[in-house]
Amino acid sequence: MPRRPTPAVRRGGPSTLTVAAVVVLVLFAGAVGFGVYRAGARDGALPAGATAEGVTVGDPGAPATIDLYLDFQCPACAQYEQRTAATIDQLVASGQAEVVYHPVAYLNRFSSTRYSSRSSAAAGCAADAGVLPRFAQLLYAHQPPEGGSGLPDDQLVALGTQAGAGADFGACVQDGRYADWSRSVTDAASQAGVNATPTVIVNGREVDHTAEALRTAVTTG
Amino acid sequence: MPLVTTSRPAALLPWLGTAGRLLLGGVWLAAGASKITDLDASVRAVRAYRLLPETAAQVVGAGLPLVELLLGVLLVAGAGVRAAAVVSAVLMLGFVVGIASAWARGLRIDCGCFGSGGELAAGQDPTYGIELARDAALLVLALLLARWPTGRFSLDGLTARHVTKEPS
Repeated sequence: MPRRPTPAVRRGGPSTLTVAAVVVLVLFAGAVGFGVYRAGARDGALPAGATAEGVTVGDPGAPATIDLYLDFQCPACAQYEQRTAATIDQLVASGQAEVVYHPVAYLNRFSSTRYSSRSSAAAGCAADAGVLPRFAQLLYAHQPPEGGSGLPDDQLVALGTQAGAGADFGACVQDGRYADWSRSVTDAASQAGVNATPTVIVNGREVDHTAEALRTAVTTG
Repeated sequence: MPLVTTSRPAALLPWLGTAGRLLLGGVWLAAGASKITDLDASVRAVRAYRLLPETAAQVVGAGLPLVELLLGVLLVAGAGVRAAAVVSAVLMLGFVVGIASAWARGLRIDCGCFGSGGELAAGQDPTYGIELARDAALLVLALLLARWPTGRFSLDGLTARHVTKEPS
């Protein structure tokens, strides 16, 4: 005679309804996450001279293009800036290279106030005012420690003013005018395959983080 | 599992099930909580593997944190454990394949398992070996739970006792 399934097996097995409920819940949870993500995607205003990927500084006809992917919360970016700022300034001033700043917000988890995003949006304001390179240097000189609360907006405004930005800069930072732009810059960098900051690319090729490597890559094309 | 055949370990089995549930559920809760506050970073982490087309990467990256939290709640509460364990195993298998593939292709990324956005910090090297070992262990745990989903302190157990009165 065929034996009935043992009670233990029956009790351990879930009903079809349970399985269906769990699967539906999982799919629903995924859909909610995706919906929230897409609902936040907006095309905001672009700063002066900027694209959705970054801000170009220097002669657009220059033979070399330097793509700088940086995060104002990233200590290695601050060190890179210290080592190469003079070289970059000189390459731009002499017309040998244009620089595309990509102020990405990768490191929001290292501050309690999303400093990466706020400083990145403020960089858009600085681009409007035409003082981005100087503003970037000041941000690095005053870089807040990882795991802190970042620089407050007031201090971002003060540094912008110090860099030479006009009266509109304060409102631009306080309103978060370029928050959406910051998000698009960050997303574009991610889609371009940039997984670390700083990432330095000259004419499409990644270069080492030294001033010599940068100069060599620019001059040899 | 030979434990079932002897009587004393058999008494231990429900507690093992509970421990496994809490461990796997706890990992899901930690992973989901670390990602849910920054869906952008979660999408970047999926993109960094360069395995999925853009829209799929967005669906997985943005959808995963809430799914992880849900699985964590189900497992810790002990509700729908077998189904949750099977879904967990499928996800873990996906993670193992993804990490192994990133390793094999020589990518330099963080697994993004706990909300890093897939980005390595400067001077940080990938830790694919540890990530693979951890996810493989969790995959085994999920499979064990799918096979033996019963345990103490579970909603499943409560409802099962009410619905079917069976001798134990």
